[in-house]
Amino acid sequence: MAVVIGWTFSQPVAAADSSTDTSSDTALLEQMAKLSSDDAAARKQVLFDLAKSGDSRLEAFLENYRTGSVYLWNGQIVVSTETEEDEDFNELAPLTHPLTGEPVLGADGKQAKPDILDLEDMSPDRAGRLAARNALFLLKLSSPNAESRLVAVKKSGTPPFNTEALPFLTDMAENDPDKKIRLTARESLLLIRLGTDVPLGQAQERWAAAGQLAGMKSLRALPVLEEMLRDEGFVKHGQAAREQCEKAVASINSHQSFVNWVGYVFQGLSLGSILIIMALGLAITFGLMGVINMAHGELMMVGAFTTYVVQQLFVNYLPQGMFNWYYVAALPSAFLAAAFVGWLLELAVIRHLYRRPLESLLATWGVSILLIQTARLIFGDNIGVNSPTWLRGNVEVVQDVILPFNRLFIIALCALCVAMIYTLINRTKLGLRMRATMQNRDMADSLGVNTRRIDSYTFAFGSGLAGLAGYALTLIGGVTPDMGQNYIVESFLVVVTGGVGELLGVICSGLGLGVATKVIEPMQFGDFTVEAIWAKVFVLACVVAFIQFKPAGLFPPKGRLADV
Amino acid sequence: MFSGKPNHERCVWALFLFGLIGVPSLYFSSTISIDTVNMLGRYLAFAIAAIGLDLIWGYCGVLSLCQALFFALGGYAMGMYLAHHGGPPGSVDVNGWKIPGCLFVVYPAGVGETEAQWTVPWFWKPFYSLTATLALGMLLPGLVAAFIGYFGFRSRVRGVYFAILTQAITVAAWLVFCKNDMKLCGTNGLTNFDTVAGYSLTDPGVKFSLYMLTLACLIAVFCLCRFLVDTRLGRVLVAVRDDETNLRFFGYKPYMFKVFVFALAAALGGLGGMLYTPQMGIITPEYMTAKWSILFVIWVAVGGRGTLSGAVIGALGVNLVYNFLTTRAPEAWPFVQGLLFVGVVLLFPKGIAGLLDLIRFKRLAKRTAEA
Repeated sequence: MAVVIGWTFSQPVAAADSSTDTSSDTALLEQMAKLSSDDAAARKQVLFDLAKSGDSRLEAFLENYRTGSVYLWNGQIVVSTETEEDEDFNELAPLTHPLTGEPVLGADGKQAKPDILDLEDMSPDRAGRLAARNALFLLKLSSPNAESRLVAVKKSGTPPFNTEALPFLTDMAENDPDKKIRLTARESLLLIRLGTDVPLGQAQERWAAAGQLAGMKSLRALPVLEEMLRDEGFVKHGQAAREQCEKAVASINSHQSFVNWVGYVFQGLSLGSILIIMALGLAITFGLMGVINMAHGELMMVGAFTTYVVQQLFVNYLPQGMFNWYYVAALPSAFLAAAFVGWLLELAVIRHLYRRPLESLLATWGVSILLIQTARLIFGDNIGVNSPTWLRGNVEVVQDVILPFNRLFIIALCALCVAMIYTLINRTKLGLRMRATMQNRDMADSLGVNTRRIDSYTFAFGSGLAGLAGYALTLIGGVTPDMGQNYIVESFLVVVTGGVGELLGVICSGLGLGVATKVIEPMQFGDFTVEAIWAKVFVLACVVAFIQFKPAGLFPPKGRLADV
Repeated sequence: MFSGKPNHERCVWALFLFGLIGVPSLYFSSTISIDTVNMLGRYLAFAIAAIGLDLIWGYCGVLSLCQALFFALGGYAMGMYLAHHGGPPGSVDVNGWKIPGCLFVVYPAGVGETEAQWTVPWFWKPFYSLTATLALGMLLPGLVAAFIGYFGFRSRVRGVYFAILTQAITVAAWLVFCKNDMKLCGTNGLTNFDTVAGYSLTDPGVKFSLYMLTLACLIAVFCLCRFLVDTRLGRVLVAVRDDETNLRFFGYKPYMFKVFVFALAAALGGLGGMLYTPQMGIITPEYMTAKWSILFVIWVAVGGRGTLSGAVIGALGVNLVYNFLTTRAPEAWPFVQGLLFVGVVLLFPKGIAGLLDLIRFKRLAKRTAEA
């Protein structure tokens, strides 16, 4: 099936290629041969025409032309980048085709290697080299590839300006199929107009460009305008020009701060969702069951390493095309693996410590050391998990607000987990039994709930959630045996701040801590910028102070439960 | 002398006697090297801090995860003193203070700062004198603890919450100490120690004296704490641990006792840190990580909490096993350590001290059976 599809798709493309190959290649080669003409203006025109063709193969050719590697051989245009010497110290030049880069065959069917003295040198002079470079730039502007076109369009807006690009840009601002490129081309045009000095009387348009750029909310214009205003020579342009520029700066600045704020809030949400996803499992094991599980971070590690194992299985045993599916398969695997380890942990250790919470801290710390060392012995210290390609890009939601897919994925996964836990705890029979056991073990027992089994299910479920957190963390952090240690304190803080046993509390405190950290980070007080570490210290201090006032968290348990 | 004492305490006194007589004679007969003595001295310093933790955790029932922070604070105080009096000579700032060698890693602190502008920060200056260092090394942790404790205990932050709160404070302190612009030498820590009170730290005689000093301090601290827990204060502490609400209804203010003990524990932690640094030759923010704060708890738990002797036995025992294993089978140590913690908590909740007492009870039971 795949073959048939491949065939039907490739057929018309190949046909189009071959048709252009025969007719336009000869035309191009004819044009290129004209580069040997004595007339400098004609040569420049040829380069310009070549650039307009937009053929990406010409990029290599122009580069070769600029460095003087293009020759005329028997009236045919050829490229030779490196020469070699034979026994008689003759310099021989192996020839390649200017467009395809393939070797040019001589009469004997091998690559032609004439003496370099038999070749007619076409090395350009200084003006010619400059023209070739311009042509290369214009060529990129007319490239069929949108990505490289966008880069070239962007570059054309920064000085030194290439005046020959102007007609291209004007054309692209109107007619380019890609909207983003049309806008960028217009932006670059305005930037060129703004940055080009014109005689005093005719400056009307130049300053109007500032206003238009402000209208486009162009972030690229901001440094340009600020630089101009800072320049002392700006006085000569008069008060009106200054006002126009300042207005533009103010307007762009407000857009900039909007973009920044959206950025901070998004980063905060993203950090918050990571905190939540780490703390959710703890909210079950610590919040509901009262077990201080210091090995929670290591259960995350188990999830992350399971993701790695699934990835390796896909790489080794399945075809290349299936690779992206590994991340889907790893989701349940990570959950189940961590849940299994958690189930064992509960069975072997935690079961005996339900009445001694502080001692469960010590025992689980021991378990965490065991898990770390086991992972280290099996997998070594540094392993790589590659994100699937569909999580690598980003999306621009509003102008200049760019959100990476992996962060969005974590937010979505977090929401999914919350929904799952809520449903399980509040809407199912198992959840009902869990709640009953956690609230009053003896009463639940006497009403026929198998509390032993419920404990073990609950703990395994919480551990599985930790595994999911580890699975999500492979997208943004390194996977090492001791990765869990970095997250454990923060996870506990989130649960404590939120109030033990409350899902809503975990969500509020996770998002709150995340957003607070990211919003504080870029703040400035005089010379002092807050930065990441101080923001973290500040948030920690806030949490400590908060616990003073609300020792039982945001949503403390009420009634008779409160004093247990 | 020991007739009325429990087994574990006799054990500790035996250890002390061995430390006072056995180790010096082994050393002077060249059976053990000075490095071994030095290592024992470091473990004794850990034991001092562990006794402090046992006081607050074992007797008062408050699990504090910032004993490592207090230990490191004491260590940094002594480290600053040592750094003042060590390192390459000749680097003197505009005010005539010699710049400690390890401080150079954090300079230039600002863009374009020249060497002439480098100064010794103000908070380094008190630690130039040994007396001030010794006082501050215990006072600072004590004050920090009193501050944390006063606000924490007064608003009745308890159990797990207090543990996590202290852990958060330790993490925050670790982050701050790791920062280069705090001028505490960042993650490199304080180094370049040469002399203490004029004596060279590389001299075996000085190393041995430091060991003896540490042992003397440990014995003094042990006696002081033993005395303290045997007074009425000690009874109140146990009451706080066992039923705080009840005690409050009797008209006591449990938080005052807790604050006092917490500050005392912190001061002991600082003392341990101060004795540790000159014997180790370096102090880094590493000692403030979560790992270390839990290690202190582990020593006390393994030794047996609420006995004081347990803290000494645990700190020395775990570290000696660690030392033994890391030289022979480094990759096995984490397994032993992990199993040790799990095993102690599950099988011997009273730790080694509890085991030692068990032996005595068995013997007693035997004797009574015979009689």
